[in-house]
Order: sequence, then structure tokens, then C-alpha cells
Amino acid sequence: MNSVRKTFGRKVAVEGIDLSIPQGSIYGFIGPNGAGKTTTIRMIMSILFPDSGELSVLGKKSAVESKDRIGYLPEERGVYKKMKVANFLIYMARLKGLDSAGLKPKVMEWLERVELADVAKKKCEELSKGMQQKVQFIASVLHEPDLIILDEPFSGLDPVNMRLLRDLINEQHTAGKTVIFSTHVMQQAESICDHIIMIHEGKKVLDDTLGTIRSRFDPRAIHVEAANAGNQSQAISAVPGVASVRIHEGHHVVTLDEGMDKQQAMQSIITAVPISKIEIKRPTLEDVFIEIVTGGHSGDAMDTDHEQVRAKLLAGSKETQEVAS
Amino acid sequence: MNFTKIIRVAGREFASTAMTKGFIIGALVVPAVMAALIPLIVILSASAQPSADKGTIYVLDRSSEVFEDLSHRLSPETVRERWEDRAKRASEFAKGMMGNSGGEQIENAMSFIKTPEFRIIPTAPDADIEEIKAEIRDQMVSGVELDDPMYKVLAVVEVDIDAAKKANESEGYGSYQTFFRPKLNEETVGEIESGIRWSIRERRYENAGLDRTQIAELASIDERESKEITEEGERKESSEIATFLIPVASLVLLIIATMTGGQYLLTTTIEEKSNRVVEVLLSACSPMELMTGKIVGQMGVGLSLLVVYNSVGIAALIAFNRLDMISGQTIILFFIFFLLAYFMLASMMAAIGSAVNDMREAQSLMTPVMLVMMIPYFFFMPVVRAPNSMLSTVTSFIPPISPFIMIMRVSSTDPPPPLQIAAVILVNMVAVVAFLWFAAKVFRVGLLMYGKPPNLRTLIKWIRMA
Repeated sequence: MNSVRKTFGRKVAVEGIDLSIPQGSIYGFIGPNGAGKTTTIRMIMSILFPDSGELSVLGKKSAVESKDRIGYLPEERGVYKKMKVANFLIYMARLKGLDSAGLKPKVMEWLERVELADVAKKKCEELSKGMQQKVQFIASVLHEPDLIILDEPFSGLDPVNMRLLRDLINEQHTAGKTVIFSTHVMQQAESICDHIIMIHEGKKVLDDTLGTIRSRFDPRAIHVEAANAGNQSQAISAVPGVASVRIHEGHHVVTLDEGMDKQQAMQSIITAVPISKIEIKRPTLEDVFIEIVTGGHSGDAMDTDHEQVRAKLLAGSKETQEVAS
Repeated sequence: MNFTKIIRVAGREFASTAMTKGFIIGALVVPAVMAALIPLIVILSASAQPSADKGTIYVLDRSSEVFEDLSHRLSPETVRERWEDRAKRASEFAKGMMGNSGGEQIENAMSFIKTPEFRIIPTAPDADIEEIKAEIRDQMVSGVELDDPMYKVLAVVEVDIDAAKKANESEGYGSYQTFFRPKLNEETVGEIESGIRWSIRERRYENAGLDRTQIAELASIDERESKEITEEGERKESSEIATFLIPVASLVLLIIATMTGGQYLLTTTIEEKSNRVVEVLLSACSPMELMTGKIVGQMGVGLSLLVVYNSVGIAALIAFNRLDMISGQTIILFFIFFLLAYFMLASMMAAIGSAVNDMREAQSLMTPVMLVMMIPYFFFMPVVRAPNSMLSTVTSFIPPISPFIMIMRVSSTDPPPPLQIAAVILVNMVAVVAFLWFAAKVFRVGLLMYGKPPNLRTLIKWIRMA
């Protein structure tokens, strides 16, 4: 995608998004509700067309020419209520260009895999929402697409089915398929994706591997639980390299000076204060997410200097380099 | 455009509409059952006839010469003979009209009607008529069951003394008077009345010295079928009913077929949109492919209705031996006009279906469409009366009502010239392209728009947008 822009009336849904997703990777789209995730995905799918900018999918000018090689699970789940489950899947696969020969056993095989073999002859309207979702997932992978786009695939699933679906997605990834999925459940993104795209207010605000994001958003903080009750802030503050200490939920959150080695700081703290537990704070995607969305006014989401994180964040989205401190 | 996808969408559209129990029962079985029921109803209503009247007729014959003929004419044997003969003639007539099966049905129906049976009793020429009439009243008042039903008095006939022979040359003939027991079958009354008149007439001919057969010969003129002279030759004279029947039937059939397809198209489009299945579909095919597939699929639904109803209609015409009322050319034109009308209506339906969120919202946008569809009904009378009037010609050129007006004209006994038909088809083809273009624009934008239903202004905006 190259500076793609899409407006609905006066509302700008997507503003100048650049994006390239390498083959065989698994990308997570995160972002708050209404951020433009679905619009972006619909543009990739050529269901919507950008007002300006360019995009190419699977080497073609638009997805129109390669629809049969893409599997799509839209956010709005839809099935033909009166159609039988197996027939619906066969119809979708045929619409995707598959031959009817050998299709039926294939559909049954998939239904068995998601434990829905017994509903093949039932009408779609008789299924529960979670079941319908699994049926739809089958519809999106049945024709063995090279690119699988899943919009909020986990919403509304129970933990068992969530795990089932996660395994299925990982399996597709292992088979060399490119997977893009959107979610606002951060744990899902963290556990599946190797690359995260975050869209906020129609703009791309994050585009990196999970590891890079973690290190960039490293809060340079250490959690310390002192062995003795009471406030040990003063003692910890005295340790060289410690920028600030504050108490949060019964433990000390120690922020380090920039460039300070965490291992060394930890050892210094241990010698300075008797402690029962000490650990390096790792940023979760949720922290990053809330940080970006709330613009750094999230209260206790991250126990670090908000301004600093914002600067890091902005440094991540290239064009705003000069704002970085 | 990928034709395989269009065909698959169309196939599903057709199957999900026409291969349902509801559709097959509603559209196909009901008319078939009705057609099968009609003869059954005829038979049932015939067999529901009241039992035949049996009883006595008193004849006070003051002329003293009518009774003999009357007693022969109303004797059980001659009555039965006459009734059987009448049933046979009716069935032969029906065979000519409706084919062998129709004739048999009439014959069956007639066999259920029971022949009346009379006992003709003369009274003394000087008997008191009041006394005889009193017997009917007494029988009814007492209500006693008679030993033999034949004793039941059905009627009293009083024949004037000069009924068959004038008293003197300057005066006219006398007449007769009948008194009936109430609630007799119509056939019984008719049988008795005609029997008396026949007997009196018979006596009059004889008294005047005339030969009955000669009179019959003189009075009867063979009927021949009248014909109309046309440009091509001659044809059976078209009756008033026939001139109306075919154009009206054609119009109604065309409206039913187009509306059925159009209505289903609207419903399935709204269903796909409100089910949110549309986005999955759009990941597999383009909006144009989807719309084209749906329109083609429902066209199949409309066409199958047309084929079934047309075959029934043609079968009926064959049965009534009136196949001359329609020509092969009319049938071909019928299908052409169906396609033109259907594509225009379907475009509107697809556009509306894609623009709204549910059936309720569709109603307000449907109102103008339905009003347009009503127009052909208003023009039905003037167009059928004068298929080539200025009004008929002008309205023929206004899409989307044009095909409906044209179907009335081409199926009338006075179809428009071929050049004009061709011109109308051309105009409609242009209109169809315009309608489809408009629909495609709205369809593309509308399908994924949820929320407030659009009004005409937003629709125009969408057209500009797409």
C-alpha cells in the first residue's frame, strides 16, 4: 500500500497508509474500534477502493484479479440462514473457483477438524454464533488461498475454540501462507503475530516486529518487592543509575537512567535493599496500545515517563523524527 | 466480469428461490390443482342437484283434444328419451369446444341429473279447478307421507276450451294456465310448460291442416360460423370476450412474472445485506458479478413461471380449439417483452435492495416503483379497445411501462406494424442499459452501507460517487 487514503463523506477513514506485507509472514492489525482497520482490510480486498494512493495484492494491481487466491473472514459474519452448512461451504468454494469434484469430502474433513461434522446437514441459522464463525473460517481457507485475511477472528469465541482457531491459523502460517488478522485483543496478537501494525485514527502509528516494539517501548523499569515492609524508596533512589522510584500496588517501580544496564542496576539494588522479588518490567502490547490511544494519559498503564514513550513512538513512525528527544 | 462466477451466483439464486417448497406450491402446484379442480367442481355441483321430481299432474283439458298429445309427451319413457338425447348433444357440443375429455366431463355431469317422472291424470272436463288445486294444498298441510311418491300432486294444468281451435274466426286462440306446487326443480317446471305448449301447438297445426315437418323445415336455417376478413385472409370472427381475454391474460401474466422475479430479487438482496453475507460474497466476486448473477437467477424464476403459465394457457386454447387466437410470433414477442420489463424492474429492485437495511425501509422506496407498475392497468381499457390509437402508440414508447402496453397491443386482434414493434424494442433496450447502469452504481455503494436508509438525494450522490 502506498499512501492510501479513503474518505467517507467528510470523515477520513484512512489517511496516507504505507504498508508492505512480505509473503509468508503473519501480521497483526491492531487499533481501537473505528480506527480504520476494517476499511484498510476492505481496501486490500478491493471491496472498497481508495480515493488516492496505490496498492497491489499478490503482485496484482488489485485483489479483484486475485480474489480466488485470497481467503477472507469479514468482521461482519454472514451466512445464508436457510442454507445447509455443507452446501454453504461448497457454494463459497465454488464461487472461489474450485471444481465441485472432490469438494464434498474436503468440506467434511474441515468440518470434522473444527468438530462440526454433525451439523453439516443443518441449516446455518440453527448454529450458534461461535459455530457460524468456525464455518466462516472454513469458508475463508477452504480454497487454499495464498493470503488469508481475518477480521477479528477471535471475537465471540470461547477459550477452547479460541485455542483451536489459533492453532489453525498457526498451521496456515507454517504451511507458508501469508496471514493478516485484525484484533483488539492484545494477547491474541502477541501470541500469534510476528509483526504488528497499529492503526489509530486512520493513520499507521506502529509497524514493526514484536521484538522491536518490545525493545523500543522498553520502559527501562524494574519491579522491586522489598523483604521488609514499608517504603524503601529512599534507599533505592540512592543506587546509581536510578532516575526515580515510586510505589505502585505495594511494590516499587524503579525507573532507570537512559543507557543504564538493567542487570547491573538490579545487582546494585539487591545489595542496597533486602528484597523478596525483583524483575525487569516488560512492555505488553496492551500497554503500547493504551499508551498510543490515550496519548499517554492512561494513568497507571505504564509506570514510566509518558512523554518519553510518546517520543519513542513518534520516532517509530519515521516522518516525525525531529520530535524525538 | 467472470462468467463462471455469474453463473454460480445465478444458480444459487435460482435454486434458493425456485427450489423451495413454498415457491413450487405457490407458483406451480396451486394453479395446477385449480385447473384439476374445475371439472371436479362441475361434477360435484351437478351431483348436488336435488332429487328428481316424481308425482302426478292433473290436466283439466276443456278443449278435450290436447290431453292425448300431452300425456304422450310427458310419459316417463319419452321424457327419459328426450333427456338422454339432450345430454348426448351437450357432450358433443362440449367435445367440439373443449376436446374429448371436456365432452366426457359434461356427459358425466349430465348423467347425475335425475330425470323427472310424471303420472298424467285427466280430470272430468267439467271438474271444479278449485277442488283440484285444493288437493295440492291439503297434501302440503297434512304433511303425511304418501304410500307411493307418484301420488304427490306436482301441478294442475287448465287448458282453455279454445286453446287449439278458435271458437270463431274473428277471435284469437285460447291459452292454458298451470298451477305448481312450490319448490319444484327448474327442469321439472320447464319440462311441463314446454310439454303443454308443444301439445297445444301440435293440435293447432293439425286443426289448421298444416304439416308439422314442413313447418319445421321452413323455420330452420343452418348456422354457419361467421368469419372476419383480414389483410392475410380470413379468420373466425373474434368474439368480444376473446378480444379482451388474450391481451388481459397476457398483461396479467407479464406483470406476475416480472413482479415475482423482481420481488424475490429485492428480498434476497436485503437478506444478503442484513445477514452480512454480502461481504463474504464480495470477497469472492465483484459487485457487478454479484448483481448480474442475481438478476439472471431471478430471471430464471420469472421465465419458469412464464413457461408454466403459458403452457397452461396454450393447452387451454388447444382444448377450446382456439389456438388461432395467438400466434408463434406473439409468444416470441411475449418473451422479449418479459425480458425487457424484467430487466428494468430488476434493476430498480436490486438498487433498492442494496440501499436499504430491511424490508420496512424498502417500502418507502418501493412506492414509486409500484405506482409505475400500476400504470399499465389504468391504460388497459383504452389500449385494448383501440390498440393503434395515438395514446396506445405514445405510451408504448415510455419505459418502463412500454413492454406492458406493447404486450396488450401485440396480443390483440389488431397488432401494431412490425416496424413499430422493432422501434419499441430498440427504445426499451436502450432504457434497459440505462436502468442497469444506474442500478450497478447504487448497488456497488449501497451494499456495504449500513445505517440511515438513503433518500433520492443520497442515491444520486452515490451514483456520482461510484
